[in-house]
Amino acid sequence: MIEKIDLWFEERMGWRPIWKALALRNIPKVTWAYTLGSATLLVMVNQILTGILLTIYYVPSPQDAYNSVSFITNEITAGWLIRGLHHWGASAMVILAGLHMIRVVVHGAYKFPREVTWFTGLGLLAVTMAFGFTGYLLPWDQKAYWATTVGTRMLEVVPVIGPWLLRFARGGEELSAVTLTRFYGMHIWVLPALLMLLIGIHMFLVVRIGISAPPKASETEEEGPELEVEA
Amino acid sequence: MKPEERSEYLEEYAEDKKKGIPFFPDAVFKDVLVGLTVLIVLIGFAYFGGAPLEERADPSDADYTPRPEWYFLWLFQLLKYFPGNLEFVGVILLPALGFAILFAMPYLDRTRLRHFRSRTWVMGSMGVAVAAMGFLTVQSMIDIPLPANVTGEINAAALFTEHCSVCHGTAIEIHEGTNLHETIAGGHEGMPAFAATLSIDEIDALSGFLVSPQGGAIFTANCAECHDSGDLAAVSPFELQAALSQGTGYAAHADLDIPEWEEVVFGQDRTALLNFLLAPDGQRLYGLYCSECHGPAIDWDGDRDQLEVLIREGGNHREMTQWRDVLPDSEITLLALYVVEPSSSPDGEPLFAQHCADCHGVRVPTAVDIETAVEIIADGMSHRSMPLWGDVLTEEQLTALTTYTLDASRGTPTLIGQALFGRLCSTCHGDFGEGGPHPSDPTNIIAPISTAIYLETRDDATIRAIISKGPSEGMAPFLESEGGPLTSDEIDALVAFIRAWEDDPPVEFPPEIEQGPVAGGSRQVFSTFCAQCHGEDGAGGADLVGPSLTSDTFQNAYSDEELFASIDRGHSATSMIAWGDVLTAGQVEGLVEHIRSLVSRTIVYSRDIEPIFQASCSACHGSLGGWDSSSMQLVIESGDSGPAVIPGDPEGSNLVRSLRGTGMQTMPPAGELSDVQIDLIVEWITGGATEEVTIGGEQAGGSAYTWTVDVQPILAASCGACHGSSGGWDAATYDSTINSGNGGPAVSPGNADGSSLAQRLLGNGALMPPGSALSDDQIQIIIDWINNGAAR
Repeated sequence: MIEKIDLWFEERMGWRPIWKALALRNIPKVTWAYTLGSATLLVMVNQILTGILLTIYYVPSPQDAYNSVSFITNEITAGWLIRGLHHWGASAMVILAGLHMIRVVVHGAYKFPREVTWFTGLGLLAVTMAFGFTGYLLPWDQKAYWATTVGTRMLEVVPVIGPWLLRFARGGEELSAVTLTRFYGMHIWVLPALLMLLIGIHMFLVVRIGISAPPKASETEEEGPELEVEA
Repeated sequence: MKPEERSEYLEEYAEDKKKGIPFFPDAVFKDVLVGLTVLIVLIGFAYFGGAPLEERADPSDADYTPRPEWYFLWLFQLLKYFPGNLEFVGVILLPALGFAILFAMPYLDRTRLRHFRSRTWVMGSMGVAVAAMGFLTVQSMIDIPLPANVTGEINAAALFTEHCSVCHGTAIEIHEGTNLHETIAGGHEGMPAFAATLSIDEIDALSGFLVSPQGGAIFTANCAECHDSGDLAAVSPFELQAALSQGTGYAAHADLDIPEWEEVVFGQDRTALLNFLLAPDGQRLYGLYCSECHGPAIDWDGDRDQLEVLIREGGNHREMTQWRDVLPDSEITLLALYVVEPSSSPDGEPLFAQHCADCHGVRVPTAVDIETAVEIIADGMSHRSMPLWGDVLTEEQLTALTTYTLDASRGTPTLIGQALFGRLCSTCHGDFGEGGPHPSDPTNIIAPISTAIYLETRDDATIRAIISKGPSEGMAPFLESEGGPLTSDEIDALVAFIRAWEDDPPVEFPPEIEQGPVAGGSRQVFSTFCAQCHGEDGAGGADLVGPSLTSDTFQNAYSDEELFASIDRGHSATSMIAWGDVLTAGQVEGLVEHIRSLVSRTIVYSRDIEPIFQASCSACHGSLGGWDSSSMQLVIESGDSGPAVIPGDPEGSNLVRSLRGTGMQTMPPAGELSDVQIDLIVEWITGGATEEVTIGGEQAGGSAYTWTVDVQPILAASCGACHGSSGGWDAATYDSTINSGNGGPAVSPGNADGSSLAQRLLGNGALMPPGSALSDDQIQIIIDWINNGAAR
C-alpha cells in the first residue's frame, strides 16, 4: 500500500532523487556532540511556530503591548505554554548555538572546505543575538523598557555616528512607541528574513559538502612537522 | 592549506563517508532523541518557570535597576571596566574585535591539522574567551545589587551601589570642573535626573564619595562606627574643623575615647576626609554658605584671583555706613520693614534704591526680624562679617567655590535661561511654558511644557535636543550649527531654566481643565466655567465676582466681537480669565450666542424688520411680481418659488438663503446686509414671523434645552457610531432623532416617560448605549429636553 502511494507520488513529483540526496546519504561516524546543530534547528522551529502564534494576539503599541502580553499569558488557552516556550526557547537557542560553535571550533570544522558554512553560522549567531535584543523590549514591562534604554544607549558611544545610531534605533531621542514598532518590525520581519536566508545556505552546505568527520589524533604523526612550520 | 592537502583531505573525507553511517535513520534517530529531550526540558521550564512579566513599563521610574537578558550580561559587565571615554572600547571595540577574530578563524588557523591536541593555541584562546565570558556573567550577577537588600559600610557607598554602580561600575572618573551636584540632580547624557529620587543631602554625600573615595575609606576606618556620612554632609565646615581639631575637647566628643585627629590623619588624608564630607562642589558650597547673605549670585566684575583672595580672607571687605548717623530713625525702621518683608512695605523701596542699591544691587538682603534688621542698618559694618573661608575649606573646595561664584556672577544659568526664554520662547510657549494657541495658527494648540509630568518624562539631553534641532514639526532649530540663534552654552542655560520648573510647576490648571479637552454644548460650558462667577443664569449676584451678563447695560455695551475677545483673551483690568487656551474658538462663539440668548428681546416687525426691507429691498421688490416686500403678509407668502418665509424655520426659508447667499442668488445683488441685520431677520423667523416676536430669555440650566445646542453633541458622541443611517433609530438630524425608530417615533415631545429614547437611556428595556450608560447629567438633559417639547 505504502509502495503504491510512494509510486503514485514519484510518478507525479519525482521526489525520490531528492529524498535519496537528503536522507539516504552516508555521513562519517559521529559523536553525540554532532546533534547540537540539529537541536538548535529544532529550537529555531519552535521559536518560529510559537512566535507566529504570539503575533496573533500581540499588539505593538505602548498602550496595548503590556496588556496583550498579559492577556496571552493569563487568558489564552495554553498561552502560558506558548509564551513560556518562546521565552525559554530564546535562551536555549543561544546556549545550543554557542555549544554548537564550540564543537565546530574544537573539531576545526571551519577549515576547508567548510569556510562558507562557518561564516553563515556566525551570521546566524549574530541574528540570534539580535532576536534576543529586539524581542526583549516587546512585553513592554519595566525590565524590557529599562534594559532597552540602557542597551540602546550603548550605541551612542560609537565615535562620530553614535548619536545617529541611537536615534536610528530608538526612532527619536527617547524610547517611545516608535522604538517599539521598530523593534517589532525587526523582530518579526527583518530578522526572520535574514534567518531564513542564512539557514538556507547553512543547511544546503551541510548536505552538499557534508558534515566534518571527527578528526583523528593520528594526523600529526603521519605528516611530520614541516607543514606545521609552514603554517 | 596547499592544493595537495586539500585534495588529500577530500579523499580522506570520502573514505570516512564510505565507512560511515546512513543519515537516515541512524543520525536522524540521534537528532530526534536529543531534540525531544530539549523540547521536554523547554516545556518543563515553561511549566515551572512560567513566562515572567514584570510591572508595566514606567518611564518616570528612574530608580529601576535595568538588567539585560543573561546572555548580554558579560557585555554589560565589561562596560563597567571601561569608564568615561573608554566606554567605546568595552562596548563596541572588544566585541567587534572578538567577532572579527571568529570570522577570520579559517585564515588564522591555516594548517591541515584538525585534532584539538595539535591546535593548542586555538583551544587555549577559546578556553580563555569562554572562561572570561563566564566570569564576567557571574561577576555581573553578583555585582548587580537588589535595591532591597543593599547594605554598605557608609551611607554614600550604599547610595552609590544602589544608584550608580549598575551603569558606572566600581568607580567614576570625574573630570575637573564638573558640577557634580548639578549632574547628579539634573541628569546628563542619558543619565537620569536624580533630583526626584535623592535628597539634597544624599546627592551631596554621593558627590563627596565620588570625588574623594580615599576620604571615604578614612571615614570608614575612623568615623563610621558612630557617624553616618549622610548625617555629616550638611554640617557647617566650622563645626567639622572644630570637631576634628579639638578631639575630646569638642563638646559632643567629650566622654569618648577618641584620638586627636591630627595625630591619626595626616596631610593629604586630612584634605581627602574633608573633601569626602563636604564635596568640593561649588554650587552646593555656595548654596550652603554664601547664598544666605549674598542671594543667588554676587555682583562681581573683578578677576578670578581677587575673588579667590576675597573668599579666602573674608572679613570686612566692604564698608557699610553706620546709617544711624545719616538717616532718621523712622527711615531706618522703614528700611528694616522693607528688608524683612519687601511686599509689606512698598514705601521702603525708594529709600532702598537711594541708599542701599549701590552696594546691595537690586537684591534685598535678608534679616530674621525687624529688630535685627534695624540693628544691622543702624550699626553698619559692625554686623556679622564674612568668615575667613581659607581657614576652613580645603583647596579643592575653595577652587570649586570660586569657579562657581565667578560663573554665577556672570549670571546663573537659570537667570540667563529665563532672559532667553522670555525673548525667544514665550511668544509661543507662554511666559511660564503654559502653551496656548499658536500665534499664527490659532487652531493649533501648543501643549504646556512646564507641567510636572512633561518634565519628569524628559531628561536634559532630550530637552536640549528639542531646542537644538527642533522637534519634527512646528519649531525651528535654535542651535547655531543648525542655523539657529543660540550657542550651546545658551541652550544649556535654557535647559536649566526649564528644568527649574520641575520642583515647582508654574502652571497648575484647575482640575476640570486638567482632565482634558472640554466637551459639551454651550450651556454645559457656561455652567462649568462661567457660572462660577456669573451665576447659573448669568445674572450675577451679590456674592459673585462677575457682573450680570443679562443686564441691559451689559448686553448693549458690547458687540458680539467684543464679547468674543473678552472671553478669548480675558480682561486685564478685571479678574476675567482668558479662556482661549482652554476653549476652542467655536466654543467661545457658542458662549457668545448663549450669553445673548439669556436675555429676552422683543422684535416688532414694523419697528425692527420692515425698515430693513424698505431700505434695501423695496427699490426692486415692489409690486412687480416675484417676491414682494411691501407688507408683512406678502414678505412671508409671496415669492417665485413658493412662500419666501417658513415661520419657525429660517434654514428652510428662501428669504434667508438669498440673504446669506446660500441659495440661487445673493440678495441684495448690490451688497449683502450686515450680519446684525440678517441675524435679526433670522431670529424673527425663528420666533414665528409675527408682528411681535419674543426671543431668548430661557433660564440657563433649567428647561429650555435645544436639540442643536444641547442634545445633538451628546447623541453624536455616544450614539452616532452605531445609529447612523443604517435603519432603525437615526440620530443624524433633528427630525430623525424624533421620528425614526424601530418601534415608532423615539421621542414624543412633552412626554419623556412615553419616549423610547429616554427609557432606553435609563435602562428600561435594553440599556443604551450598550454596557455603558450616559452620565446622569446627560440623561437628565435629554429628559428635560423632551419634557419641554423637544425644541429644535
